[in-house]
Amino acid sequence: MLDLASIQGAFDLLTSSASAWVFVIPGLLIGLFFGSMPGISITMAMAIFLPMTLYMDFLPAIIFLTAIYTGAGFGGSVPAVLMNIPGTSSAVATTFDGYPMARSGRHNEALGVALAASVTGCLASYLLLLFLIVPVSSVVLKMGPLEMSAVAIWGMLLLGSLSGNSLPRGLLAGVFGLLLGTVGMNTAGYVRGTMGVPWLLDGVPTIPAMMGLLAASQLIGLVNTKYLIEDEGSRKISFAKIIGGFRLSLSFPTIILRGSLIGVIIGAIPGVGSSISNLLSYSETKRNAPDGDSFGRGNPKGVAAAEAANSSSEGGAMATMLALGIPGGGATAILLAAFATHNIVGGPSFIANSKDIVYAIILSNFAQALLLLGVGLGFVYLAGYIVRVPMRFLIPSVLVVAVFGSYAIDGTISGPITLVVFAILGWAMVRYDYPVAATVVGLLLGSLVEGNLLRTWQISGGDPAYALERPGALLIFALMALSIGLTAWSARRRRRAAIPAAGSG
Amino acid sequence: MTMNRSHRIVVNWGHLALLAVIGSVIAAYLLDTRATSLRVNNLLFVQPAALIGLLLVLLVVPQCFRRRPAGAEAEPAQPLSHLAKAAGLMAALVALALSMERIGFDVATFCFLLAALRLCGERNWFVNLGYSAVFTAILIYGYGTIIPFPFPLTIL
Repeated sequence: MLDLASIQGAFDLLTSSASAWVFVIPGLLIGLFFGSMPGISITMAMAIFLPMTLYMDFLPAIIFLTAIYTGAGFGGSVPAVLMNIPGTSSAVATTFDGYPMARSGRHNEALGVALAASVTGCLASYLLLLFLIVPVSSVVLKMGPLEMSAVAIWGMLLLGSLSGNSLPRGLLAGVFGLLLGTVGMNTAGYVRGTMGVPWLLDGVPTIPAMMGLLAASQLIGLVNTKYLIEDEGSRKISFAKIIGGFRLSLSFPTIILRGSLIGVIIGAIPGVGSSISNLLSYSETKRNAPDGDSFGRGNPKGVAAAEAANSSSEGGAMATMLALGIPGGGATAILLAAFATHNIVGGPSFIANSKDIVYAIILSNFAQALLLLGVGLGFVYLAGYIVRVPMRFLIPSVLVVAVFGSYAIDGTISGPITLVVFAILGWAMVRYDYPVAATVVGLLLGSLVEGNLLRTWQISGGDPAYALERPGALLIFALMALSIGLTAWSARRRRRAAIPAAGSG
Repeated sequence: MTMNRSHRIVVNWGHLALLAVIGSVIAAYLLDTRATSLRVNNLLFVQPAALIGLLLVLLVVPQCFRRRPAGAEAEPAQPLSHLAKAAGLMAALVALALSMERIGFDVATFCFLLAALRLCGERNWFVNLGYSAVFTAILIYGYGTIIPFPFPLTIL
């Protein structure tokens, strides 16, 4: 599994010159800053700084870009916790419990939990990558559309578990999101639901829609609130509480390990990645936790599960990118572009011929995760001051930043218009107790589910027996059934535990 | 089944309107999809999902009608001023999105901040004007240096 000679070569590469390390902290800071800016995605941060890497050697260039990747991965959780704005799709599940924690005055703790889970998730993923890069790459290569559909359907089942008080409302919110996620041209070339609007051909812009549904709608609902945290005493910024949250997160090793595993596996699947892994990890943690009912109301376990998974997805995506030369998403596509600008082609031949460089990239990411600990602590301490800003300033400012962020995605008015439409829809849905998160999940999965179902249909010729030829898909479906069974069992166990408690009370 | 006369039906009109919007969007999308093509490649996912969505709308509709004992006190409703503020903020947001390319990002942002700050409770006009101007400038120059797309501007 490990090539010790190559690892020794990697150490030599990393220690022979300071150039590999000079760009790590600037990269982390850039990533943290851009990741915490709503609308500025990890991809955009890396794309902006890609031209700079033309003037660097190959290894420092890749380390610089991966440092931005690592920093932005955590940076997205800061607005998710403090403003309910998932900076990227990978921070959606962080908002579920992070924001309720912030609103109840536990913002310091929530940020500490998010940072610890991110750092440990990232470390765990690269540790796994170190040992598993070769086997993981061979597994990913065997995944077909049916397996992809199975993973996406697994994601869809989250809709049920994310529902609020009424199951039909939760399912309706989810199905509505799924349908909106299929608007535009499907993979077979049919154009639906665009109403003649050209920019809808590519579908509903997901990030502005998410910002509208999750953030702007909540801000509109808070228009009569004076402070994000009403209790003045709870508004304090406390370094000790951030550290307390950090420690608290480390008391959930199973949650972090499970999140890291889900993150690595899902992150390694091209096109799926961290946007689903954080939701899967959140849902699995909620299902298995004895206090699962308190998820969505400020349970730190939810933040830890989501952050561990989205940070560890980086390791999974890097596995596919390094071993196969297939980018799992926008960020790894930019890394591949950086490879190309240095005349290096990623893929099996690269991993066979340049194992020392591959291991150097992996080892430098260990160092980046550890450095993120220090840099991130300072960053969240400063960012925490946002809860002391009166809402009459915060609401208009964040709304206008969100509008600018939505414009920044592609430089057209499609982003702001989408944001506003979904903000109004989200406000109405929240008002009548619909889980907007289910609509967001549906939006993210709609085209993925449809595309993969179509490919499965085409490959199988419409024959359901085709599923029997795909043991991987059957295994995923079995895991799905198992997780549903466990959910039912844990819900029943909680109900039974509640009856004697109610009786004695 | 006889209706108990001591109960009266309370209709949640807002919820009903939201369901009407969701139901209409789903139905329109289904019709548009079917109008595009009736081939499996087009309908495989959208048609069953839309039908499930419409079924769910029908399942939720009864939740808009609640029985309340005739003598029971009405639930405390949100004051109209709170709703008006939210509606005002939404209107300002719509105006911002629709006007920013026409009148410039700087002017549209400044006007939005001015209106939104007032709606959110800032009564001091000097603070309002000063904050809106400074925040607009920071935003225009800040985002301007980060993102690769130009903003249409009128003054800045």
